[in-house]
Parts: sequence; C-alpha cells; structure tokens
Amino acid sequence: MSEDERYRTSTQFRLWSFTPSSLHALRETTNLIAANRVRAAVQRLREARTASSAETSEAENVRATSAVPEGEVDCLTVDEELKLVAFYCRQTIQLGDHLKVPTDVKATAIQYIKRFYITNSLMTYHPTDILKTALFFATKTENFYFRLTKFADAIGKTEPEDVLASEFLLTQGLRFTFDVRHPFRALEGAIMELQALAHGNISVLPGEASAVERPANIEKRVKDAHGKARDYLKTSALLTDVYFHFTPSQIMMASLSLADSELADWYMVQKLSANDETALEMRKKVLQTVGRCADMLKAVEPSSEPSAAEKKELSALAKKLKRCRNPEKIDLVGLQKAKREGDVVDEKVIKKRKLEREQSAKEEDLFGPEIKRA
Amino acid sequence: MFRNGVSKLVDNPSDDICPVCKSNRYLNPSLQFLINPECYHKMCSTCVDRIFTSGPAPCPVPHCGKTLRKRGFHKAFFADLAIEREVDVRKRVGAVFNRRHDEFETLLDWNNYLEEVEGLVFDIVEGDVKTRTIAEEKLRMYKEANKGVIEENTRVGLEEGELERRREKAEREAARQRRLAVLREEEEEKADMLKTRQSVLDRLANEDVDANTIAAQAQKIILKKTSARRALKDIPIQSNGSAMDAGLTIRGLKKKEAPAPEKPYDPFGGLDLTPARYVLQDHYENEWLGGAKKDTRHMAGGYSLQEYYARTMFEAFSGLGVFIEDEVTDRNQQPQAVVAPAVETAAAVQAAVSKTKFERNMELDDVF
Repeated sequence: MSEDERYRTSTQFRLWSFTPSSLHALRETTNLIAANRVRAAVQRLREARTASSAETSEAENVRATSAVPEGEVDCLTVDEELKLVAFYCRQTIQLGDHLKVPTDVKATAIQYIKRFYITNSLMTYHPTDILKTALFFATKTENFYFRLTKFADAIGKTEPEDVLASEFLLTQGLRFTFDVRHPFRALEGAIMELQALAHGNISVLPGEASAVERPANIEKRVKDAHGKARDYLKTSALLTDVYFHFTPSQIMMASLSLADSELADWYMVQKLSANDETALEMRKKVLQTVGRCADMLKAVEPSSEPSAAEKKELSALAKKLKRCRNPEKIDLVGLQKAKREGDVVDEKVIKKRKLEREQSAKEEDLFGPEIKRA
Repeated sequence: MFRNGVSKLVDNPSDDICPVCKSNRYLNPSLQFLINPECYHKMCSTCVDRIFTSGPAPCPVPHCGKTLRKRGFHKAFFADLAIEREVDVRKRVGAVFNRRHDEFETLLDWNNYLEEVEGLVFDIVEGDVKTRTIAEEKLRMYKEANKGVIEENTRVGLEEGELERRREKAEREAARQRRLAVLREEEEEKADMLKTRQSVLDRLANEDVDANTIAAQAQKIILKKTSARRALKDIPIQSNGSAMDAGLTIRGLKKKEAPAPEKPYDPFGGLDLTPARYVLQDHYENEWLGGAKKDTRHMAGGYSLQEYYARTMFEAFSGLGVFIEDEVTDRNQQPQAVVAPAVETAAAVQAAVSKTKFERNMELDDVF
C-alpha cells in the first residue's frame, strides 16, 4: 500500500478535499439558504411582535423585539463571509498565542472553523462562539490538555457553558471527523532527510545508488529554508484554502519552494524519478500542483497584517453581520439548555404513546404489542 | 407429554401392585418385578418362581399366552418397558447388522446402510403385527445369508475391545513401573550418599591429607555417580516405549503431520507498507531530537526515535502524488449539479437544506 493510497483513506481526503469550483458552489448554496432563513426568521419575529404589541409587553418580548432590525434585511455575500472568516481565523491565532497553545492546536482549530463554515453561515452561528469551541476541541484532538474552567477563565468574559453550548453543533458541522492532517510534521521529515542528504551518503529512493549531485552549500540552505517554510505553514497555509485543495505533502513542498525554490525543485526532482513516460508525466504534474499551491500560499505572506483600509472594511462587515444575524440562533446557550432539559418531546408524541400503552393493556398481551419496524 | 408421564407414575397403581397375584408393595417391601423379553409383561419375582420353576408355562397375563421360561426373566433396566424393549431390539439387530464404517467405499453408502438398519429397527419396535413379522423375516434372512461376515465382524469387534483393554493395562503397568523405578532410584541415591560420607569420614580420620581436597574429591564422585545414573535411566524408558509400540497396532489411525510453525503475528494483515519514496534510515541528525536521545526521561518510558522517524518521513511523502483537482472532481459531480432552489418559506428552506446542502450521505439536521 503506497503512501498515496494511505492518504486516500483519511477523512481529510474523503470528506474535506474540494476543487475550487465545488468549494465555491458549496459556499454559495450555504450562503443563500442561510440568508433565506434569516429573512424568514425576522419575518416570523415581526409577526409575533405585531401580535403581542396589543397586549402588555412582557420583558422577553421587549428583549426579542429590540434585536430585530427595521426594514429589509441586508445579508452578507459569500465574499464578505470569507473575509470575516479569515479575520476570525487571525483572531483564533491571536487567542491561541494568548493561551500559549502549540501551533498544532491553533492550526487544527482554524481548520475546524474553516470546515464548519463551509456548510454553515456566519449569519446563523457567530464565529466568536464557534472559535472558542473549535480551539477547545483542538486542544483535545491534539492531545494538549486544557481544563475547561481554566480555558474559559483565560479567554476572559467566557463561561464554560459558552464553550460547550456549540459543542455538538460544531461536531456535526465537522461531520464527526476530528482528524486534521497538517504539513508541520511533513516538513520536519523533509528537513530531516535533506540534512541527512547533506551530511552523508544515503540513497534518495529505494534501490538507487547513494551518490547524488548536491546543490552548493546545501547544509546552510536547508537550515534557512526550514525556518522560512515553517513560517509559511504557520500562517499562510492556515489563512488560505490550501488545506482543501492540496495534500499536506504538497503544501509542505510548496512552502519549501517559497523558502528556497532551487532547493525544493532539486529535492522533488530527486524524489520523483523519471525512468519512463508515466513517471515523467507524474513528476511534471506534481511540480505543477506544488507550483499552484505555492501561488495560493503567496497570496497571504506570513508577516502581512490587514491594512488600515481592510481593517475599516472588516469593522463595517462586522457591523453588517450584527444586523443580519439569525435572531433565532443568537442565544446558543439558551437553546442548548432548552434542548438538554428535554422539552423537545411534544405533546402529540406523549399522547400517542399513552394510547398505545392502553391499547396493549386492553389486549392483555403479556409481552406487549408487536415491535414496529421503523 | 411430560405431565402425562408424571401423572402415570403417581396415579398408576400397577407400579406397586403385581398384575398377577395383586400383592402390594405396602405389604411386601421387597417386592421385585421381573420381565421376560418374549412379551414384556411384568410380574413379581414370587409369581415367576411359583409359575415357572417347574418348566416352561404360558404367560399368566390375560390374552397373552406366550410360552415363557424362567431363564428368560430379568429385572427391567428402564422403568419404561417400551424403552426396555427398544433397547433389546437394538441389541439384537445390532448383533446382526454389525458392518463397520471402513467396509464402505463412500460416506453416502455408509449412511444409506445406517438408515436401512434404523428403518428395520423402527419397524420392529413401532410397527403393527404385520410389519413386525416382515421386518423379523428380513432380519432372519439377512442373518442366514451373511453368517460368515457377521461372525467375522463380531470377532473383529471383540478383538478391538480386547486390544483396547490390553493397551490400557499396559499403560497402567508402565506407569506403575515408572513409579517403582523412581522410588528405587531415590533409595539408591540415599544409600550412595551415606556410603560416600562414611568413606570421607574414614579417610579424614585415617589419612594425612588436606581436608578440603578430600571433600572436593567426594563431591566429584557424587556428581559422577548421579550423571551415570541419569544416563542409565534414559535407556530403559526409551526401550519401554518401543516395546509398547511393537505390541500394539491400532488400525485406522491417520498419519500424523507435524504442525507448521506458526508465523509471527502481522498486525497489518499482509499489507506491504514499505515506503516507495524514501529509504528510512536508522538514524537521522536532528538538532531538536539530540536532547531526547540522551534524556532518560524520554527514553525510559519506551520512546522510540525510530517511530518518530517513520512517522515524519511517511507524512512528508504521503499524498504527494494525490491530485485533489482531478480525483475529487468526479466525486463532486452531484452536489455541483444542484442549483440552489428559490425558496420562500422556512419549511421549504428546511426541506431544501436536507436535500442540497449535504452532498453524499451526510444528513445534517439543525441541532437546535
């Protein structure tokens, strides 16, 4: 079973890999549905308000009506949502730095957020809620224990319930797949082998002679490339969509080629032998793919910060988001509580069950009625 | 059926009363019932003595009238006389139809034969008078026609029983011999020890040699004797085993094959996981790992650097040749084809969500 086949068994490949067009289509669908839902929810709320306005307004009504914006709801577009998600991903990195969690945890949390917002809209669930839960989940999946109460305290202005409220929501949004394959360890592996190649005579591929021509001054270049590539992986790889379009190995190679393109090209050519036509074709294709990935990574440089104009736009977007949120989904903690207390079973079901029970008692069947097939 | 049986046992007075002389177990606690396999009518032993001591007489049970002899009476083994009778019939038929499995060429033939015999037994046990006579006739005919074969098989069966008995006896005898040998040996050893000790003491008393050398010599002698005894002991056991083999030839034993040595367990079930894009080295230079290599806190717990090497190298090249652009395109055909429908009401949105929003088999309802 080759390395590639083993990667194909991962959930990251099976569920979370998309072509750019399909990813965009998915986001558009999500946005459209969410916008329609927001409008419908606002409509319902307005009707409720007009109905209750005649009566004495209860405290709850006042609170609810105050959240309803006037006029036609102006919803976010897909691009606007993406910008906001990117902004909140940066926020997540900052929060992670504040909590002193390792890079893996931050990276996993960001992937959770990104994956979640493919099938959910910011208008439905606000990212400030989701990102806390995502970060908390990431500490678990990356085996970095963080006590929940401590976690909530360290974030500030957060209760443990706030973190847990969207727990199942996020899990479902992630389709119950918590495994994220990162390129960090891959980079360590590549650097490790490059250093070994620089030092001594080891064979690059199985069954090949060990002597290969090496680029000049390779040892120092590997060291320099390591740091730069790591920076790309820590920021650019997380803030762009590369995880959805490329495999960790390709992302790692792309970051390496951004750090030292000559070295990376030499390495890849060594690794992908061109013995025959198909192998040559494969090498060409890998190089192309890595090149495209590198282009994508370059779009967000590691040191780049949002410019003043962008910041202004973002704050405007945040305000816009505030106006077009789904009023039914704002209070996640309350919703979670209501769900947990189990008033979900409505009266009809209870009545039906009671009737069935009586019926079976009448028939005096010792073992109850026949089991119904669903 | 069970209940019927119980009530019969409890209510039926015939269990305690002789049907011939009507004497009662209450009056005669030593009352014993006997039967004769001619007609299976039971009567008490007193009646048997009284009626049949002076020679053969007809059965005293009304409407039976079979001539019985005293010699044929015996105590019923089973309380249910129908079973007693069936067992007797089986014994009789089995003595005639005593063919063996290895006489048949195929299993099917053997099974057919068994079925035929079973049918005959059933006819005799359960059939009415007519079928019973026919079956008995068949049995008699077969017995006459195959006299030689039947006798031969009976002889073989007896011989086998005899062989089995002999083998068991030989085994018991061998075990007894072994026990005796062990006892004898222990005694000899003890006597030897005493003798050697005595001689050492004598030499210490009489000769003018260093005590330590004498003790060492004595030790050597003891060791030599023990090893000699051990060598002796091995031989008789071997000869014993071969003797037993020579006396016994058990037929029909299958040739024994030494079981193939078990292969080491492979957790991957035969998957070939040798890397294709790199050669895993036993050792890599890595400044980050330099400390861990020498740190007992790392290594004492069983931390294996090789595991780390294997994992990082695998991740470096796992998926390098996977092109998501190509491979995912055909997978995503269906969701791409779905065009977001123009929906107005919330219910329609709900319906649309469950249909369009989640491609493949992912069903996602609203959590809250």
